[in-house]
Amino acid sequence: MFRIPFLVALALIVTFGVGIISTVSALKATVGFGAIALGPWVALPDAQTENTDPYAKAHRARAGKLLYGGAEGLEFTAAMDSTGEKLSSGCSYDIIGTTPPARFWTLYTANASDQPAKTDPALPSAINAWTVLRKPDSTFVIHVSPAAQPGNWLAIRRIGPFKLVLTLLDTPTAGSSGLIDLAMPAIVKTGCPDA
Amino acid sequence: MRSIVFAILVGLVGAALLHIVIVLALPRFTGKDAYSRVLGLYEMDSFFSLNAEPGPTGLANDDPYLRVAVCGFSVDGGPARFVAKGAVPFWSLAIYDANSNEIFSMNDHTAVNGNLDLVMATPIQLVDLRKAPPENLAQSILVEMPDEEGYAVLRALAPMDSFEETARDFLAEASCEPFRR
Repeated sequence: MFRIPFLVALALIVTFGVGIISTVSALKATVGFGAIALGPWVALPDAQTENTDPYAKAHRARAGKLLYGGAEGLEFTAAMDSTGEKLSSGCSYDIIGTTPPARFWTLYTANASDQPAKTDPALPSAINAWTVLRKPDSTFVIHVSPAAQPGNWLAIRRIGPFKLVLTLLDTPTAGSSGLIDLAMPAIVKTGCPDA
Repeated sequence: MRSIVFAILVGLVGAALLHIVIVLALPRFTGKDAYSRVLGLYEMDSFFSLNAEPGPTGLANDDPYLRVAVCGFSVDGGPARFVAKGAVPFWSLAIYDANSNEIFSMNDHTAVNGNLDLVMATPIQLVDLRKAPPENLAQSILVEMPDEEGYAVLRALAPMDSFEETARDFLAEASCEPFRR
């Protein structure tokens, strides 16, 4: 007697349940297509343009961030180290190498939801191209650790997973089609004192 | 039994349609997109400097070395002119339309003499400006605005604490005003 209403209800439950859950998880899992990945570093050079895909548009409308224009810069984020393991704030990492050509770069840490991580203002929670200490061949080693380190120290708090945000300002990287000679620094885990 | 499978299949087709509809329609009704947040500052036609802490609209200086100011503007009544000068090591400007699509971006190296002087205008206003170029727009960059409304994001670099004041002054003195002959 209630067969037809039951079947209609089932179809509607599947429609709205699967439809909404799949949309929310798709928007959480990805920030859109068209990303360029250089090792663990990922950037979306077209995310702010008209030509980007609908997922990226929906994502940026939900996040509401002020994105970088093409002539401004390109923001790379890394949620993993060079071996593909998730960055955890219980561990220490070394960022080794050099950046692609850019007039300036900044590096800071963000929490898992892409908000800048809050650290003690007395601690060095960000580093830029002018303040970093370099080797004679202009490469650098940055120690990312919750404990104080000699040399370049990027302080993090033990907040669980975190992300590294490297912004290249006024860089040809954004418009580069051949991404062959662009070398991003490697992220190497040096140890997990707690684990 | 067959009808249950059929109902689930119909449901899945509906789910796929709903997924597409939500993704395509989301930018129009989130209310959290960057343009809504800029409008939420209630500051039209002037640059509003953001703080390190997110304000009521959730906009903040995300990058610890970049100071950001935003300005919502409209070219409905006339062209909008953006002017800024100062000795910051780096500045950049991006113009977005109401859907947060980039229209134009530039930085101090692509500017004339390193100073910002930009006019956004509709195609018709541009024709007027080009027909009889006003004296004070001789150095300005003229850019066509496809929509009537949009927002500008001006960033100034403060790589060390000693540059903080310069960067703040640069943003505070930057103007974003309707252009009148």
